[in-house]
Amino acid sequence: MSDFLQNTLDGLAAGASYALLALGFTLIFGVLRRANLSYGPAIMFGAYAAAWTSLNFHVGLGVLFAVMLATTVLAGAYVERLAFAPHRAGSAVAAMVASFALWMQFEEVATLVLPRHLYAFPALYEGGPLPLGALTVRVEALVMIGVAIAICGAVWWLLYRTRFGAAVRAVIDNPIAAGLSGISVPAVSIRIFALASAIGAVAGFLIVTTQEQVTPMLGMWSTLKGLLAMMLGGLGSLPGAVIGGLALGLIEAHSQWYLGPQLRDFLAYFLLFVLLAVRAPWMNTRSAS
Amino acid sequence: MDEYAIGVLTNIGLISFLGLSAYVLLISGELSFGQQAFFGIGAYAAGIATAMFAWPLPLAIAIAMAGGATAAALVAWPTLRLRGLYFAMATLAAAEMFRIAFELLHWQVELGGERVGPDGTQGFRGIRWIFERGVEPLGFLALVWLLLLAFVLGIWWMERSRLGATLRAVGADPELARSLGVDVERLKLAIVAASGALAALGGALFAHHNTYIEPRNFDLMLGVHSLAYPLIGGLGTVLGPLLGAALDIGVLEGSRFLQGYRMIVFGGLVALLLIFRPRGLLDENLVHRLKK
Repeated sequence: MSDFLQNTLDGLAAGASYALLALGFTLIFGVLRRANLSYGPAIMFGAYAAAWTSLNFHVGLGVLFAVMLATTVLAGAYVERLAFAPHRAGSAVAAMVASFALWMQFEEVATLVLPRHLYAFPALYEGGPLPLGALTVRVEALVMIGVAIAICGAVWWLLYRTRFGAAVRAVIDNPIAAGLSGISVPAVSIRIFALASAIGAVAGFLIVTTQEQVTPMLGMWSTLKGLLAMMLGGLGSLPGAVIGGLALGLIEAHSQWYLGPQLRDFLAYFLLFVLLAVRAPWMNTRSAS
Repeated sequence: MDEYAIGVLTNIGLISFLGLSAYVLLISGELSFGQQAFFGIGAYAAGIATAMFAWPLPLAIAIAMAGGATAAALVAWPTLRLRGLYFAMATLAAAEMFRIAFELLHWQVELGGERVGPDGTQGFRGIRWIFERGVEPLGFLALVWLLLLAFVLGIWWMERSRLGATLRAVGADPELARSLGVDVERLKLAIVAASGALAALGGALFAHHNTYIEPRNFDLMLGVHSLAYPLIGGLGTVLGPLLGAALDIGVLEGSRFLQGYRMIVFGGLVALLLIFRPRGLLDENLVHRLKK
């Protein structure tokens, strides 16, 4: 029983980071109807900028976070300008392949600046896990869950309680109608890209300070986890993204315990495949193109 | 021809099969993130056939293609009614399952005091059929390009036929094609199986060229590359994916003065190219004009 609770706790912490990645992915997908393959690589790029700063200057975590946030948002804006803005009315496949081409650029720049396969990253918290009855809980996990709740709340407020949010929801519902009623779709799109990149940077920062290392694989890893969580929760739904992320974290934690890491990943993909094949009702597989 | 040029040309040929497999799907309106899995199945199946069972390469290639076609059809059969990104994600999920299955595959036999066969994440080494038969690099290059030429001609001929027109009609508007009496599902299943066989053929040749394969070779990175080739080279002609692969491998390997910066330059060029030619260099309009 305590194993079960411990796994659930660990799964929630991992799920919180997946939920944030999926939230960023979904914001971009909702507004642009395009999958941004460079979403994870932009986060990786930001993490590399922070790792480089930490290697060359004696600065605290706050500065590293600021570097990562700024770099990731700039990288995200670069992707939007070069891979998505030109294809707004055009081909989704071209936009996706262009975002992949920029992924190649991020990866090459990152490995040029820091060529080793793995770099240490300062820890978020130096102490050990805290006891909680028969369980232990890592401080990083609590921070991750707390930050995820705060960000979800802030995004909800932004989307449902501000003028900008109303414009974003209008674009998500119908970009043509939104444009006709005077909303600047390009302006909404670049801001959503910046917001999604910022959310990704927060998630990525918590991930690298928890794992205390960065590798170039962080890019593909973030893209895959974000895509997986977004699809599990139903493509394009913001609450779905959060639920999908948490579900993915819980499924992974429990399956890792019983089946090991390789079957853990296998199970997550298997579940997605089956849900897509049976066209799970919350996935809207009939409507979207 | 020097060894280096032979190596580059062989690699262009090998990866072109993967580009072709993405191309036939793209013109019929499907987007797959999973072609790398069928390339991997071809590599493993053919490697097992020649290295572990000492079967001849042609038989190994036939087994690989049958395996690739079967696996692709099995993936597509329950997911064919999905559209766009949903189908792409289903193929990605399936491809990752295959990659993990390669990681879990431990199957080795004693051969001449050596353990041969797939060893999970440690990979599968010793696929030396062409070296043991004394096939020269130039001979292997010729084999790869002759096979490629045969399939390019086959697809070119298919595209000129009624079947090709039907495929492009399904790609442009599946509902309209259905209303004209096209059995869209059956056609798509057939084209998906064909694309799986093409990818597997490339994988079988790749395994024998490299002599060593590992599960990591067949990840999403390879899959998106295969998608990029037809899109860079152009969706208007079967030569598009070959041009895309040649530009990628040629520019990558060829321009040694760019060493260390080649992906930065190439990535930027591709993104810019797609702004001006979203369906690639040899797109339908250009091909149409050239034909006149």
